[in-house]
Amino acid sequence: MNQVVANGTRQVSTSKGADDSPTQYLTFSLGGEVFALGILNVKEIIEFGNVTEIPMMPVFIRGVINLRGAVVPVIDLSARFGGNASAVSRRTCIVIVEIDSEDGKQDLGVIVDAVNEVLEIPRAEIEPPPSFGAKIRADFIQGMGKVDGRFVIILNVERVLSTAEIAMLARMGGDDGNTATE
Amino acid sequence: MDEITTVFVTESREQLAALEDALLQLEGSPEDNDILNAVFRSAHTIKGGAGVVECNFIVSFTHVVENVLDRLRNGEIKLNGDLVALLLACSDHIGNLLDVLAAGTPAPDADLAAEGSALLNRLQRDWLEKGSGGDAPSSTPPSARDEPLHSSGGGEVETDCWHISLRFGPDVLRNGMDPLAFLRYLTSIGRIVLLETIADSMPNADEMNAESCYLGFEISFASTADKASIERVFDFVRDDCTLHILPPHSKLSDYVALMSQLPEDPMRLGEILVRVGALTQAELDDGLRKQQAPPENDSADSAPQMPLGEILVEQKVVSPELVDAAIIKQKQVNDKRAAEARLIRIPADKLDKLIDLVGELVIAGASVNLLATNTGIGELIEATSLTGRLVESIRDAALQLRMVQIGETFNRFTRVVRDVSRELGKDIELSISGGDTELDKSMVEKIGDPLMHLVRNAMDHGIEAPDVRVANGKPARGRLELNAFHDSGSIIIEVADDGGGLNRDRIMAKAVERGLIQPGQVLTDAEIYNLIFEAGFSTAEQVSNLSGRGVGMDVVRRNIQSLRGTVEVSSTVGQGSRFAIRLPLTLAIIDGFLVGVGRSAYVIPLDSVVECIELTRDSNGRDYINLRGEVLPFVRLRELFEFRGEAPARQNVVVVQYAGLKAGIVVDSLMGEFQTVIKPLGTIFHHVKGIGGSTILGSGEVALILDVQALIQRCTAHETQRAEQPASIR
Repeated sequence: MNQVVANGTRQVSTSKGADDSPTQYLTFSLGGEVFALGILNVKEIIEFGNVTEIPMMPVFIRGVINLRGAVVPVIDLSARFGGNASAVSRRTCIVIVEIDSEDGKQDLGVIVDAVNEVLEIPRAEIEPPPSFGAKIRADFIQGMGKVDGRFVIILNVERVLSTAEIAMLARMGGDDGNTATE
Repeated sequence: MDEITTVFVTESREQLAALEDALLQLEGSPEDNDILNAVFRSAHTIKGGAGVVECNFIVSFTHVVENVLDRLRNGEIKLNGDLVALLLACSDHIGNLLDVLAAGTPAPDADLAAEGSALLNRLQRDWLEKGSGGDAPSSTPPSARDEPLHSSGGGEVETDCWHISLRFGPDVLRNGMDPLAFLRYLTSIGRIVLLETIADSMPNADEMNAESCYLGFEISFASTADKASIERVFDFVRDDCTLHILPPHSKLSDYVALMSQLPEDPMRLGEILVRVGALTQAELDDGLRKQQAPPENDSADSAPQMPLGEILVEQKVVSPELVDAAIIKQKQVNDKRAAEARLIRIPADKLDKLIDLVGELVIAGASVNLLATNTGIGELIEATSLTGRLVESIRDAALQLRMVQIGETFNRFTRVVRDVSRELGKDIELSISGGDTELDKSMVEKIGDPLMHLVRNAMDHGIEAPDVRVANGKPARGRLELNAFHDSGSIIIEVADDGGGLNRDRIMAKAVERGLIQPGQVLTDAEIYNLIFEAGFSTAEQVSNLSGRGVGMDVVRRNIQSLRGTVEVSSTVGQGSRFAIRLPLTLAIIDGFLVGVGRSAYVIPLDSVVECIELTRDSNGRDYINLRGEVLPFVRLRELFEFRGEAPARQNVVVVQYAGLKAGIVVDSLMGEFQTVIKPLGTIFHHVKGIGGSTILGSGEVALILDVQALIQRCTAHETQRAEQPASIR
């Protein structure tokens, strides 16, 4: 009984610490660059396949997949960062990320070129994001983690996958600018 | 145990639970009248139900409890911890009595009876006899043992209340009288001790005329007023109603005479009189047996009671034929109750779980079907198609479980309209049609609020004050219509009024003022009317407490949109406006028609599909075809959704219909019917026009469901825009 309670409290304390800055990250590569996501946001990693395209959508919304009966939108991160749509290769994966949106938790799939590993990056090893030069929007970056003398871009999931912003972009893409029908 | 008793026991247990909860809450906030009323209601429901199943030991016990509650409600006694504890003990005792009834025992055993009388004595001693005292006899329990029944033997009945029998004529409502108003007025000269509503003359629902009044009341009325002033209360309806007033301490024979005068059968009347407390059961029996041996003290509840009808016959009060008729009548009542008893109440979440599972089953079934077809084994295909058919039936049955008639929701508005029109000083009649239209339960729940907004808005802003109406040459009485009907896979709910209609110019002015549109912008009527759904829009010059705060209409639209529905408004100045809410029938599963474009599959709701034809070569270039002499415009899905690659040699047109508008959708291939479990697409795709949702195919792939209406609207808008700006590059 005590054990269970102790376990419970420990879990609480880790997740509390996670609020400030998670210490474990999933690293993946995208267009030759290495990025990291807080591990607590990652639900699972699946093989790329069977993405149903949604018409009239901006490029970065690749479509939707069937995740065991639930329909999950898939975001092309590379396109979201302003680059080209990622080419699908043998190692291409979809990382399922859980984010908090206004209407509760939502799952989103993120296409990455390859998943690398789960890393522990101490808080001291994380530098603030550069104001420019990273080639992606500064507010997408939570920090720059130093791993083996290289920088890993730690993404700010809430910003990168902000449902409100994506929905707005989707709406603009879908509307073709003819808001008169509203 | 028969069905009625079963239902009574089940319902009473629920009521007891509610009673207990309310009592506990009451302890925390003794001043809260709502809770007290809830307690009273529960107790009263149990007593009423016990009366119906003729379970006297519960009636008599609950009656005393109710009396205490009544005094509590009237502020004659104060609630304290002791009383709550006592009442809780009483509620436990009622629970025990229910056990007795459920077990089929005719009366509680000695221990339980002793416990009951101990509780009754405590109630009687501590809470009924102390305090002001004087008016206690009116609430005498029908068969409490300490009741001096002998005193009633002399011919006078025990109650010191007036007894009023009131039957309203059918035209009361039509003449603009409100039966309730009289009762309310009655309370100004006294106190209604007990009131029993008589709805026996109410015909079957299809024969009923909603404008007619079928009501009657038996009222036990405590008052010091004289007969003339009581009669004066009903002056206005004197010609339209039958009124009998019996003064306090009337002779038993007067009551018997009254019973034979009234249109309802005496058997039921006798029961009703007992229930209103005009007579006690003992008095009734007593009166009817007065030529026989003098009654025993407790004859009422221990001796097996002779049916009232037989006694009445013996007393030559009614003829045997009448009793037979009355028995048949009562049997009909019983049959009706039995029909109601066949209803099972299930928690909604269990039902939702079932629907979810059926949804998964449908998807899994589609997958099996696909695999079977691929194998090409005849027997297997046959077996799976049989399973498929069964699954389809299960799906339909499961969905049917959730379908409820909208009438109940509509009927709620009768009261709202009456209250609000009075508050506004307007005369408004509500006409309801299509109440038997069925739609999904969850939808019914969610549509209530938007409807309420629309109805209130129509009454507040739509319908003018009576003098304005008369000045405009309209009848002073405004008319509000609620209507529901099915239309190609959707249900349409209309709220219409015959008021002043929407004022185009005022809406324009307001919209400009609020910055919703630019001054000088040219809009069609429909576009202008739809502005009222924008956030922060309200044209009412006066903000009343009903509406006019400008939060209503955009919330209405949002609520309706969240149900995948739309709301449209049409209006004619001076003649009224009509709001049409269009909702899908169900939120969960639809019959779909699967079509293919390129490598993607799309589902078109089958209800909107009229037919499929081949796209002939000669229509190339034009986006319309000749459909048996009709011009049918069509949209090429391939172009609209910007598919790369060439169209195949053979293309098909799916003819769809929506709100009376026909259009074609050009697709590559037709793949047939498909049971579609709707999966929401999530907030990201909320605004995508033309896509209504998604579903999962048997292969595990996701297919998109086309929103036919939005698709057609989108094309129309496109076309208009192209026509307006021919130079723009598209």
